[in-house]
Amino acid sequence: MTNSIAEIEDAACIFIIGSNTSACHPLIARRVFRAKEKGAKLIVADPRNIQLSLFADVAVNQRLGSDVALLNGMMHLILKNGWEAKEYIANRTEGFEELRESLEAYTPERVRKITGVSPGDLERMSELYGTRKPGALLYAMGITQHSTGVDNVKAICNLAMLTGNVGVASGGVNPLRGQNNVQGACDMGGLPNVFTGYQPVTSPEANAKFSQAWDRPLSDKPGLTIPDMVKAIDAGKLKALYVVGENPKLSDPDMNHLRHAMKKLDLLIVQDIFLSETAQGADVVLAAAATAEKEGTFTNTERRCLRLNKAVEPAGGSLPDWEIICRLATAMGYPLNYDNPKEIFQEISGLTPSYAGMSYDRLGLDGIQWPCPAADHPGTRFLHKDKFTRGLGKLHVVQYQDPAELPDAEYPYFLTTGRMFAHYHTGTMTRVSPALDREQPTGYVEINAADAGRLSVREGDMLVISSLRGRIEAPAKITPAVLPGNLFLPIHFGENPTNVLTNSEALDPLAKIPEFKVGKARVEKLVP
Amino acid sequence: MPDMKATVREWLDTGKVDLFLGYKQVEGHPLPYAFDRDNLEELQDLMESPARYPLEKLGAGILAVQPNLKIGILGRDCNRRALNVLAVHQQITPGQIEVLELKCCPSPLHKHADCSSLEPRTYGPVKLEVGIDNSMPTARMEQFDQRTRFDKWLYEFQKCLKCYGCRDICPVCFCKECSLEHADLVETGGVPPEVPLFHLIRAVHMAGRCIDCGLCEDACPVDIPLRLLYRKVNEIVKDLFGYETGLSLEQPPLSILGECAPGVTGSHGAAV
Amino acid sequence: MYKLVPSVCSYCGTGCGVLFEVLDGRILGTLPLKTHPVNEGKLCIKGWNLHEYVNSFMRLQAPRVRINGRLHQVTWDRAIQFAADRLKKVIAEHGPDSVGVLASAKITNEENYLLQKFARAAVGTNNVDHCARL
Repeated sequence: MTNSIAEIEDAACIFIIGSNTSACHPLIARRVFRAKEKGAKLIVADPRNIQLSLFADVAVNQRLGSDVALLNGMMHLILKNGWEAKEYIANRTEGFEELRESLEAYTPERVRKITGVSPGDLERMSELYGTRKPGALLYAMGITQHSTGVDNVKAICNLAMLTGNVGVASGGVNPLRGQNNVQGACDMGGLPNVFTGYQPVTSPEANAKFSQAWDRPLSDKPGLTIPDMVKAIDAGKLKALYVVGENPKLSDPDMNHLRHAMKKLDLLIVQDIFLSETAQGADVVLAAAATAEKEGTFTNTERRCLRLNKAVEPAGGSLPDWEIICRLATAMGYPLNYDNPKEIFQEISGLTPSYAGMSYDRLGLDGIQWPCPAADHPGTRFLHKDKFTRGLGKLHVVQYQDPAELPDAEYPYFLTTGRMFAHYHTGTMTRVSPALDREQPTGYVEINAADAGRLSVREGDMLVISSLRGRIEAPAKITPAVLPGNLFLPIHFGENPTNVLTNSEALDPLAKIPEFKVGKARVEKLVP
Repeated sequence: MPDMKATVREWLDTGKVDLFLGYKQVEGHPLPYAFDRDNLEELQDLMESPARYPLEKLGAGILAVQPNLKIGILGRDCNRRALNVLAVHQQITPGQIEVLELKCCPSPLHKHADCSSLEPRTYGPVKLEVGIDNSMPTARMEQFDQRTRFDKWLYEFQKCLKCYGCRDICPVCFCKECSLEHADLVETGGVPPEVPLFHLIRAVHMAGRCIDCGLCEDACPVDIPLRLLYRKVNEIVKDLFGYETGLSLEQPPLSILGECAPGVTGSHGAAV
Repeated sequence: MYKLVPSVCSYCGTGCGVLFEVLDGRILGTLPLKTHPVNEGKLCIKGWNLHEYVNSFMRLQAPRVRINGRLHQVTWDRAIQFAADRLKKVIAEHGPDSVGVLASAKITNEENYLLQKFARAAVGTNNVDHCARL
């Protein structure tokens, strides 16, 4: 997030697109409700009818995968009506003329054809977001998990910059991170192309700095992303995989393909707190401690680095992940010796400019938001205050492209995926929790009453959902949450493994994020 | 009031209690803290807290595991009322939890009115117009016509994120099986939970139970005026049966639906 | 004997402050941290039940190694040695870029830091990624 969670409360307009905030980030939804009650206007754009749609001043259901057209359509109207932040555009951005030209084609009528959103709704949402400042823009995986994910994000940034909403309190571009430490995993260099704090492995200075600190010459060749790793396994080039705290067999697209590929590995090491689907196929399973059983830090979606405290001893003979990694490295002939996570954190802040001013003592229980470059720096509530990291904010021309798959005669439905409010990711943590299991014990497929009627399907009937990749079964949940022609599957259930159906080939070319959110599918009643 | 720290020291020294739940400042945050004979030197840090936690519930939770302990808590009148309710429902034996009492709050159930923890909060103008001002007295709420009242409650209930925080923080919620989780009574699995049924079920269960401590409302992520709702329910109980929840020491009128009802084998009363 | 330990929720990326209620080395429950800047004493259904997965009887209690096609519990020394020997063999035969490491959005900053250090310095590859995209 460019801005902070608490700041959302004081926005004058909130635009939520591709985030079921009240189900997936309830304590952020709290701020949305409070803002609304203080007088903010709320716009919700989501292919499904979500809880927040009920509270929106304008709620639209854009067709799956049509976000760029919707956003460009809003910008078209903002420019047409002169609602853009002219001074901000002149002083803080570049590329405006090219953008303006590219937006001319996105007339309300054309946008209606692509997105299904009426010109009247488009006009109202454009006016609200264009004229009520500050405007906070919130999004999640509904924007990023597309073959055009980067385009979607660029279009969002264009819209926010065009209206002068970046670099102001209670405004900003705010991706809501789905997992507790996605932000931290990225910040810490858990990516193939960067060290900590996004210092590129290809940068000679960064490479020299880390080579010296770690006492080894380091490769300056960017590594493989997960989808490329799967391909490399398939091609026999990647022979060993060390998986920590992930369950890719359930979370990755096109499960059958991945399961098949993983059999080709010479060595699979899995480190986890449960014997997950992935761990069951491993050569070595390393038993890890849970977060309540160790010290360390997480960095939340608003860049706040927060300290964990150890509450109890690790279960059975499990060990904290940091200890396991140290032992393994040492056995590999690269000794790693730390007494505690605090020592590791000191090494991190020494090598990472955005964390340089942080220490366990300073973090306390409130945490500190990066960038925090010095020990006397209070941390940063919102980014890009007076200038962007690169100087001027770049407005990118983004053209609408169809998703990789659109429904056809053989697969007439749109299929999309997401979370349920009581579960989390592949369910390894939430499905073993009695309270959460009681709340939502099984998976299902959401289907509109009109489609259910045509298929003579009643609530709870088993349905077979198939795509080009495979087929799964799930009970029907008939709900107005999905529009006719749309199906929704939650991602948490190994027995209705959604990712048998999803498309691992349709990746965003830059971010390599798979198109979980749009696919074509067929649905039939299960004939026993 | 005699010195709080000296009193707790005496309680621990004389064995009146084995464990005392109070508060201590930890890294700038007032946290519930357990004092016992092994950390007497820490008693100098014992403090009152502007942030309230259900210490009597934590105490009852400890007793469920270690029934022979004697526990003391730092509390106010609401904590004492909660302990009364827990005793009435046989969740604790009277005297198992001692209260070192502090100054108190503006609940109609109590006469003092100087609890700093319950300063009225401010709510946005849209909430006041469309929804409900949480600090509104029940009588003021009743001045709205029925339709308006219904719409206002509907608005508030539709915000519910189904965290169950109102139940989980509640010092007098102890049922092993909770009606809110019964699929036969209320739909499970979605947000918002079935409107208005979910909240009405809980409201009914608060009759003869709710001691108006306000912790549910504190825990509600979306500012639903739960305290007002349960206060109304208990006004009805008082008007109809003369029962003052938390003050009356006999079984509440509605507990006939619990263990006293023939053929019902619930372990504790009022599991309606 | 009894303590409340402040920590952070390990479900979504919001980062709510929690208190673990610990009695005799076991977590009895989770409470919201009332004075936390993110959640101000409120939690969602997952947060309120955060301790349940920690206490689950399904938790892995010891490392395991596949011997004759089946996973067997072994000592830590044996599991680490087995993993290290096999990794070294793969690196010796196919080079460091034949190894991939998946870091995690669920483990701590310190652990992610060590994992990429492990991949880059101990193995010698930049093949390290995590499932932020998924």
